[in-house]
This record gives sequence, C-alpha cells and structure tokens, in this order.
Amino acid sequence: MNKVFVSLNTVFLIILFLTLIFSVYSIPKLEISDEETIKINFYELDQIKRSSKNSSSFPSSKKENFDKANVNKKIDDSGTKLKNQKFSIDKKDIKKEISKIKLSKERESIVRVSASIQDKISSIWIKPNSLSQILTAKVLINLAPSGEVFKFELIELSSNKAFNDSILITMEKINFFEEVSNLDRNLFESNFRNFKLVFKSSGDIE
Amino acid sequence: MKKTIAIVFLLVSSNIFSILEIEILKGSDNLSKIAFVPFGVEDDIDEDYGIQISNLIEKNMLLFAEFENLDKSEMLSYPAKEEDFFYRDWKVQGVDFSLIGKINSLNALGNLNISYSLFNVNRRIKILEGEINGNEEDIDRISKIISNRVYEKITGLKGIFDTKLAYVINSDSNTYQMCISDIDGQNEKVLFTSKSPIMSPDWSPDRKKIAYVSFENGFAEIFIQDLISGKREAIQALGMTNSAPVWSPDGKKLALVVSFSGNPDIFSYSINSKRLIRLTDHYAIDTEPSWSPDSKKIIFTSDRSGGPQLYEINTQTKRKKRLTKDGNYNARGKYFPDGRSIFFVHGNNGNFQIATKKLSSRFIETLTSTSLDESPTISPNGNIIIYATKDGANGYLGGITLDGKSRFSLPVKNGSVREPAWSPLAN
Amino acid sequence: MEPIGIFILAMVCQLYSCASNVSDSVDQMSYASVAGEEYLQGEKIVTNLEDKVYFDFDKAILDAKDKGLIDEYLPFIEEAKIVRLEGHCDERGTREYNLALGERRALEVRDYLIVKGISGKKIRVVSFGEEKPLKRASNEKAWSENRRVEISLY
Repeated sequence: MNKVFVSLNTVFLIILFLTLIFSVYSIPKLEISDEETIKINFYELDQIKRSSKNSSSFPSSKKENFDKANVNKKIDDSGTKLKNQKFSIDKKDIKKEISKIKLSKERESIVRVSASIQDKISSIWIKPNSLSQILTAKVLINLAPSGEVFKFELIELSSNKAFNDSILITMEKINFFEEVSNLDRNLFESNFRNFKLVFKSSGDIE
Repeated sequence: MKKTIAIVFLLVSSNIFSILEIEILKGSDNLSKIAFVPFGVEDDIDEDYGIQISNLIEKNMLLFAEFENLDKSEMLSYPAKEEDFFYRDWKVQGVDFSLIGKINSLNALGNLNISYSLFNVNRRIKILEGEINGNEEDIDRISKIISNRVYEKITGLKGIFDTKLAYVINSDSNTYQMCISDIDGQNEKVLFTSKSPIMSPDWSPDRKKIAYVSFENGFAEIFIQDLISGKREAIQALGMTNSAPVWSPDGKKLALVVSFSGNPDIFSYSINSKRLIRLTDHYAIDTEPSWSPDSKKIIFTSDRSGGPQLYEINTQTKRKKRLTKDGNYNARGKYFPDGRSIFFVHGNNGNFQIATKKLSSRFIETLTSTSLDESPTISPNGNIIIYATKDGANGYLGGITLDGKSRFSLPVKNGSVREPAWSPLAN
Repeated sequence: MEPIGIFILAMVCQLYSCASNVSDSVDQMSYASVAGEEYLQGEKIVTNLEDKVYFDFDKAILDAKDKGLIDEYLPFIEEAKIVRLEGHCDERGTREYNLALGERRALEVRDYLIVKGISGKKIRVVSFGEEKPLKRASNEKAWSENRRVEISLY
C-alpha cells in the first residue's frame, strides 16, 4: 500500500516536472500579432491595492485575469519546491527561473504604476451617470519620462457625447503622472511612453 | 499553463507590438462646479432682474444636488458678453462650466430678449448659446427653459425642470389629500381631499390625468381625475379590491389589479372600450403592475414562490419570467426609461430599501440606506429616483441620483407625505 | 382526515362566493356611503371580548390561539346581521402588496368563520393594507399590533 502511494507521488512529481519543461519550451513558439495588447483591468489593479492593505477578500465575479496571476505565482512556488527537492535542475533552468522572477517583478511595477494612474484619473473623472448601456471610449496618451503628458487623443469614441466630453475634461485637467518618473527607463519606454486608457461607463463593477 | 506563460512573455516582448491598456471604471465623487454669472442688463432694466434670473437657474440646477456652484460673491468678474469672458478667471476657481447671459428690452411692454452662453472652462470652448423672447413675468418659465438646455448640454440627459410630482399627504387629523406640484415643490395643487386613504397615483402619459385608488366608498376603488376640469370618474367597481392602476405608454390602457372575492390578479383595462383582459391567473397575490417602455411586457409582484418577488409577463404571449431571486422581499418593480434595468423595493434583514437590477444580470444593487423606503419613482430622463421614507412617524420624500453620488430630500410638508409619482416630460 | 375535510369545505365555500361575486359587490355598494368612514348603516354591536386577531410579518395564517379567540367570539358573530372583516398590515414593505396581504388576512378569517358555520353572505371583507395603522410608531411592538384583522358586528 505504502509503495503504491510513494510511486503515485513520484509519478505526480514527474508530471509536474515535465509540465514545467514543456512550458519552458513552449515559449519560443509563441507568435505575437500586432493587435495583441496587455490589458490591465480594474479588477487586477484593485486586487493589487487590496493586497497591499493585507486584505484578501474579493468578490467572486470577474476576476479571471487575477486568477491567471495567481496561477502564475503557483508555478513559481512549485518551481521553488522542485529545486528544494532531490531533482537535479541544470543551470539553464535556474536562469529561466530567475528571469521569470524578474519578469514578475517588472509586471508588479507596471501594475503598481498603472494603479496610480488609474487612481489619479478616477479622482478627477466626473462620470456622467445613469448610463445603463455600457459605453467605452479609448484615449491614447503620450508621456515624457518625467511623467508629463505630452499629448492625448480620444482614439475611440463612445456613442454618448456627454461621456466623451467628460473624458476630455478629465484629460485637460491632468498634466502629470508622478509615479511614472520613478520607473526604470526600459520599462517606461516599453509600457508608458504610449499607452491607452479605456474609460468604461457603469455596469461592470460594484 | 501555456496561457499563463504567454502573459509573462507578452510583457517582455511588448516593446514593439503591443500597447498597455489601463481600464478606468470608477469616477470621482466630486461634482461639476458651475458658475451662474448674474445676467447683464440693458440700461432701462433693473439690475436685480439679471441677478434674479441667474439665481432661478442656479436654484433649478442645484435641485437634485447634482452640481456644485460658485458663490456669486467669489466671482472675479461678471461678464455678460463673450468678449468679456476670460477662461483663466474661472479656471483658477476650479469652475468646470460657466453660464453668462444678457437681457435686452424689446419694447416698453416688458417684452424681453434674453441671450445666454455656456462655457466649458477646462476645454476652453463655448458649448451652448441661445436666446429666448418672453415677458418679464415669465421669469420662471424662461429660467426653466434655460436650465433644461444647460442641464442637457452638461449631462447629455433630458432636462427635467418642467416636470411635476404627484403625491399623497396624510395630515394628523386623518385627512388624505391627493396633490400635485412642480418638481421644485412650487405651485402645489390639491386635487382631492378625503377622510379615507388615497393610494397609488399615476400620471397619464399626456400629463392631463391622474389615476389613483381611493377608499372613500369603504373599499379600494380606482378613479381617474382630469387635471384641467378636476372631474373625477370611478372605474366601475370591478371586484372587492381594485388597486394599483398604471397607464400604458400610449395612454389607452391601464394595467390594474382586481381581486374578485379575494384573489388579486393583473388585468389590462382599455379606457375607451372599458374592456378588461386578464393577464395573470394564479391563486397567489399578483399586484403592482408596471409597463415596459415598449408596452410589450408588464412587471409585477407575486408571492407565488412564498414571498414577494418580481416577475414579468409578455402581454402578447402571456409568458412569465421570474426576475428576482436574491433576498426574501422584492416588490413594486418598475422599468427604467431605457427598459434595460428595473428598480424596486428590496427587503433585506428587516430593512426596506430602493434597489436596482439590470435585466441581463442577477446582481441587485441597493441605492438607499434608510430602512423604510418605498414607492420609488424615476425621473423621465432615468437619472434620479424619488422615494418615500420615514423619519419617526412622519413620512417625507427623499431622492437619490442613480450613481448614488447625490442625495436630497424634498421640502417638508404639513403631514406625512407618501407615494410620489414623477410626471412624464411635457409633450 | 379532519384538516382535509376543512380544506375541501373552504374550497367549496370559496367557489360558491366566486359564483355569487357580482351580486356581492353590488351588495357592498349599497352599504357604502359617500361620507367616508361610515360605510355601514345599522348599529355596531359592542362586546367586551377581543375583536382583533394578529398575524406574523408577510403571513396570513391563523394559529390555534387566534382560532380559540374567534371561537369565543362566535356566539356574537352568529347573532349579528353583518360581519365586517377589516384586514391590515404594518408599514413595512410596499403599499399595494400590503393591500393584497390585508385582504388575504381578512379572507383567512372569513374562511374560518364559514367553516364554523357562519353564512358567507353576511360577511363583508375589506382591506386597508398599511393605510390605517393602530399605532403610528416604527417599532416591533407597533408593527405587531398593526398586523391585524378587525372583526366588527352590526
């Protein structure tokens, strides 16, 4: 009985290991199309803010993205576990692990700065109310490394004029995103030189 | 697993192809700040008149606590013409919009020409200009017209300053009064006084009639009263209890509740032919009907599941659908003007509050925070709900905007005020 | 066996009163007067017995205690020409729903009276919903006193 148990355990660990190898090898095969974007949505940002306050409660709806982030973390955990056990891992894999950790750190700072941008806009945007249809408008923003807003442009309009106007008014009021100036230059260039704000009317939250 | 790695990978490789998107859903709790500049006047018109008209517009606009104003004493200048308007004077005061105007005299009979302009201070553009001719005594009407246009420009919603409110007052001496007034509480008119309870007023779509329930003959009967002639007409007593009349959007029918010997069901009553068509037939309580804006559906309360919950019935196919599941008390539902959401009274842990729900979602959102809220009625532009609530034994009317940002209560009356019904827009 | 019997009897009575509903409402009209409160001509019979039964929130069910109370009252009810049952609710919940609920409560009492052999023809049922509370306060005590059916005899 014990034997069976042990061998099952081993099989399980081997499968885990294989999946790790497999996933590492799957990286170069990915193709990126021009349309693909990184989306940082409200829920994820909200979660970052919450977790920084040591609160873990979270409404059950609409958190797929965050779940993904969770899974991500789990992989990292299992990776560390694997290393602590008797399996031998070559240097290449360790490098991968390190780069992964670095990546998650980068992602964290991107999310942090995004959260501060979101906070700032949310504190200024006077959202027109009573819009039970879901409206979306996109603004393209061009920043200087100092965080100064060079240019903004409403690139996707909603069907509601008051909604569009409220966004333009908000953008007129903003000259700076302070947090951006603390970012690593590479991260700035790749993420915040040009970025989009997606304004959504009521409906999805609360 | 492949997918999760893909996300991490996207981050590194995003340099060239992809662009960061940040989603913004939350708005600020701040209100737009509006400066209502005293209107300029021509030499022969009293300066006070210019201040008065600007004050009236200001009072209208602040009625539902949706905006902030800049006090006239804090203004750096009183421009009356566009040439004298400097954006920086208003920007430094944190003003978002600024309304200026000018009154010209047309003749000695008191006929005036009033021109006005609205500026978006942040975007530095003029967003509205207009003029009205009218008589000096028309100041209320003129200011309502300007208020509506300014409101529409700023919010993108229909202006509601010329709407009315119907309500029931129960004063201490057991007197019940069916009243109407302008939405700002002015021009109150008593339509009918009785020693017995009055309930459930509802405006006809053309604003010319009101249907309500009166107990004057010892049981619940439905009356239609003409607002111009004051004439009242009972809908021929149908059953032992007749209640909850609501006009169809075309004004030709009433949905109402009749209880023939003890089982209340929903009927559609044709006003011209006086024909009654049964819509529900269930041994449970079916009551509180209300039409969808397209007249195709009727929402109603039924306790067929054991407690009051909301259902809707297709008036053609008679097919029914349950709309609420959460909570043990959901009643008196009405549709929003766009037909996509409903609002109703939601009972939760002994509190009765006004709640909203999208038809497409399951989630119920409570709007109000007092514990005995009832009879919600919505503004024709779908932005504000007025409801009845209680402070001790006395009933008063409260209001709230749908984003929950602005709350207000209507002026206190002598007696307990209840059952508000918001009129449709004029025409 | 007995509850089923009572149930069937009540259903039969209900059916009977349904059938005679048109004349019923006309009957009701003739007892109504325009002046408001005085719906009924004839003198009200006054007894020193409890003439109200009370209900739980959002319920229209008579419990054993209520039935005992009505049983005590029964000799007077049998004597009366007209039995008027007035259903009421507390202020909680919506007005139109409470109007229907008050009617349910009065009907529950009527059905019990019919089972006890009172003629349905002399029973008048009316609901005032939450419109005529006995106590105007907003607390549990006032609410429990307001959820009632008042029996008056003429």
